[in-house]
Amino acid sequence: MSSIAAPLRSVLHPAAAVRRRFRAWWQARLPRTDTLLLTQRNIYILPTRAGLMFGVTLVVLLLASINYQLSLGYVLTFLLAGSGIVSMHVTHNTLRGLTLHLRPPSAVFAGTSALLDVTLTSAGRARFGIGLSLESTPGKAVAWTDVPEGGQSSAQVSFVPPQRGRHDVPTIQIETRFPLGLFRAWAIWRPAAQVLVYPRLEQPAAPLPAAHPVPGGPAARRSTDGGEVEGVRSYRRGDPLKMVLWKKAARTLETTGELVSRDTSASVQHQLWLDWSHCTGLAPEDRLSRLATWVVAANRAGADHGLRLPGVEIAPGQGEAQRKECLEALALWS
Amino acid sequence: MELTTPPRLGLAARWRHLPREARDTLFLLAVIGWTVLPHVNHLPLWCTALTAVVLLWRTRLALTNAPLPSRWVLIAVLALAAGLTLWSYRTIFGKEPGVTLAVVLMALKTLELRARRDAFVVFFLGFFLVLTHFLFSQSLLVAAAMLGSVWGLLTALVLAHMPVGQPSLSSASRLALRTALLGAPVMVLLFLLFPRMGPLWGVPQDGLVKTGLSNTMRMGTVAEIALDDSIAMRVRFFGNPPAPETLYFRGPVLSNFDGRTWTTGIASSAPARDELRATSPGLDYEITAEPTRLFLIPTLEATSAIEPIDGLTARRRDTLSWGTDRLVFNRVRFKATAHTRFEHGPQQRSPSLRENVLLPNGYNPRTLAWARELGDHPRMANADAPALAQAVMQHIRTAGFTYTLAPGVYGETDERVALDEFWLDRKEGFCEHFAAAFVVIMRALDVPARVVTGFQGADPMPIDGYYIVRQSHAHAWAEYWVEGRGWVRADPTAAVAPDRIVRSRNLVPAPGFVAGAISNVNPELLAQLRQTWETLNNRWNQWVLNYSRGQQLDLMKQLGFDSPSWQDVALLLIGILSGLALLGASWAWWDRHRQDPWARQAMQMRRSLRLLGLAALPHEAPRTLAAQVHQQYGELGAAVAGQLMALERQRYGHAPLTRPSAQWLRALRGEVRALRRSAQHAPR
Repeated sequence: MSSIAAPLRSVLHPAAAVRRRFRAWWQARLPRTDTLLLTQRNIYILPTRAGLMFGVTLVVLLLASINYQLSLGYVLTFLLAGSGIVSMHVTHNTLRGLTLHLRPPSAVFAGTSALLDVTLTSAGRARFGIGLSLESTPGKAVAWTDVPEGGQSSAQVSFVPPQRGRHDVPTIQIETRFPLGLFRAWAIWRPAAQVLVYPRLEQPAAPLPAAHPVPGGPAARRSTDGGEVEGVRSYRRGDPLKMVLWKKAARTLETTGELVSRDTSASVQHQLWLDWSHCTGLAPEDRLSRLATWVVAANRAGADHGLRLPGVEIAPGQGEAQRKECLEALALWS
Repeated sequence: MELTTPPRLGLAARWRHLPREARDTLFLLAVIGWTVLPHVNHLPLWCTALTAVVLLWRTRLALTNAPLPSRWVLIAVLALAAGLTLWSYRTIFGKEPGVTLAVVLMALKTLELRARRDAFVVFFLGFFLVLTHFLFSQSLLVAAAMLGSVWGLLTALVLAHMPVGQPSLSSASRLALRTALLGAPVMVLLFLLFPRMGPLWGVPQDGLVKTGLSNTMRMGTVAEIALDDSIAMRVRFFGNPPAPETLYFRGPVLSNFDGRTWTTGIASSAPARDELRATSPGLDYEITAEPTRLFLIPTLEATSAIEPIDGLTARRRDTLSWGTDRLVFNRVRFKATAHTRFEHGPQQRSPSLRENVLLPNGYNPRTLAWARELGDHPRMANADAPALAQAVMQHIRTAGFTYTLAPGVYGETDERVALDEFWLDRKEGFCEHFAAAFVVIMRALDVPARVVTGFQGADPMPIDGYYIVRQSHAHAWAEYWVEGRGWVRADPTAAVAPDRIVRSRNLVPAPGFVAGAISNVNPELLAQLRQTWETLNNRWNQWVLNYSRGQQLDLMKQLGFDSPSWQDVALLLIGILSGLALLGASWAWWDRHRQDPWARQAMQMRRSLRLLGLAALPHEAPRTLAAQVHQQYGELGAAVAGQLMALERQRYGHAPLTRPSAQWLRALRGEVRALRRSAQHAPR
């Protein structure tokens, strides 16, 4: 559907707009929860198009049986009708008693897809043909899974968050048509979890800004390290593995039992400030994108980096925690 | 580069290595093939061939994972099939052309089996095809074969809704069977109580050639019937069964003769004006007759009364036959009363007898001359009708006539002397020849006479007490009119082949290969097998196929309704269905509070622990609770804490339980009670 067609359709079909509003109102009533037990209070069931066709077929079979006075025709018609009724219960039963649990989703960059990992648990029987999809996307991809008897299975649905920020996880729809496809049972689930979305990464990435020398830094540092070869120091927690000098470390491990890393602060003697003011001439969102890209690049390079945003300043540092802190600040800055 | 041939796999292994989609398609194709197969008898040859080619083609496509043909190919083939149907039947409407087209459509639909929607069309067409079989036969065998088809179609439907992995055929078929079995009570209920009504619109006349009684008789026609071993009707007598030689079942009475063909006369459709004068007590019996496709039901001679038949009005005709208001296209069952000794027909010579002395001009001159000679004989000078009949019978007995079902064709060179050839030259024939010659001669002697067709004799079935009348029991005999008595039966065949009448031995046609082999080894066994099979078939007919409004009302009477009507049946059905729905609704209401069993156990556990004065909040794990117990009660609480740790292991440890154990909860409660007691007594 093109973006122009959608509003046009809503004008042409006021019923569609009403339906959408009703759906929004209805879903807003559903409590948000990360663990959902499906009971008959939250499962809906309706015949599918094929189910209606099946009904028509039954009527045709019945008429033929009456007109040709076929006892076996009656038997066939009623056997299929009985199976159809049973299939309705089986379809409903497939969902009822199922427990869904959403694992806390990990943060993603805007424009990349966020994965929602759902665990399905069946306390009792095995359940087949359970499909998970996002309720909002039309023509959606459905993730199908079977849940073994008394066991668990998992299914993943993904969505692409539109922009940075903290977003509610979209509404998930659980459906099944098992066993005969005549009925479709479904449930609507609004998970409580939120997904953190970092700014979109810039493509292609702009080069990192020039690092500035740390005033008085190297001198002070050298004195604390005292007597060591310049540029090498003992391993500290949080040092990236590629900074470890493995050949030297093999020797020092034998003697002192320590790893040694390259002392970047000593060798680079620079500090990298990723600053809002570095990205002049860009729209605010694009500035955030560039800063996020730099955070990722700086982290990859293993450089100490700090972040300055209007109203926010994160002191230089490195490692996973620093990266997370910076990106989170960028995601939530307003 | 050297080509390496892939290792040859066994059939089973190849089946296992097929991709899921190919396997499902092959299974569906097999089910379709099985469903279509019994139709081969009713289909034109081109249709069978086309269907086979299409199904094999689709099989190949599935095995090689090749793309499906374009829509234009399908349309072209469909147009060709429609054209061939038109060419075969001169119409595309009606039963047989319809079935032909349905089979072709079904086969072609498999060639565009892409989306699930297409699959559904195949399934629904499949169910419809299953029904079409019942138009031709509703026998046990067909029912069993079609049960297999329905099972296969349901299995394919289940498979289509198991999108994950490669579910095995056996598990899908088990699920399908389970669904069908759970639905069976609904089926039985609906079958018993769905109101039966008559056809909604006229059943189209079909071109099916079926042997059986007919309104016409021509030399040689009954011989065809004699070769048909299928069952015409089943008879049950309430009381002593009559002697075999009196078992005459009356069908059409043929009083009109145009020289070639005997047809029913005017009287045969007129309601009875002449009374039936019974001279023996009534004999009650019940007949389950296969469709006659005539305005007539066969009855035991002479039936004076018939209980009302469901959906059919039967009246006694002037000819003593029982006519109906519509063509009998379904199996009918009725109870009736017959008399083995009776008189009927006008006692005085009346105008209605006139058509029974008419003979066409210019036919069979030598036979007529022979009759005149007999009448002119001095001994016959003032002989009455019985004496004349006696003389003719005597002639048949003594003049060297032979009873044979294969007398050859009479009147090959000149149709007008066919009877002459039989009566004076070759003298070989069966019932219809003897009856026709007898009637012609009686008429030549100015005695009203007519041919009666029907069945004579029956095979007793010792297993369930039913007598079976087969098409091969079809018979033709004669009646002549006697002043003061009315119509009198004469069976000229009895004069030449008394065996045919007394033991009602029907000439058994050459049995099939298998039957022949069995009867060579053990004739008794074959007879026994056949009897058992026919008994089973009879049960099937009586209980399933013949279940109609009458039986429905009988059932209602047994259920305690005094004078049930079909409205009562409908009400009962609606009542039971709404009762079931109500039951379901109340169960659903009860089930509303369903909980995860672990959650329920946790709630009960917390309730128990609160008796000990612990807060026991919902998010606290058993381990945390155990620590709290230990903190509050010290060593006294060790047992309760131990139980909680056991729960921790049960739920999260190695090989966790899938369901909470009831014993554990009992044990915990016991320990909690014990702890409370000891805590009250022990100094803190």
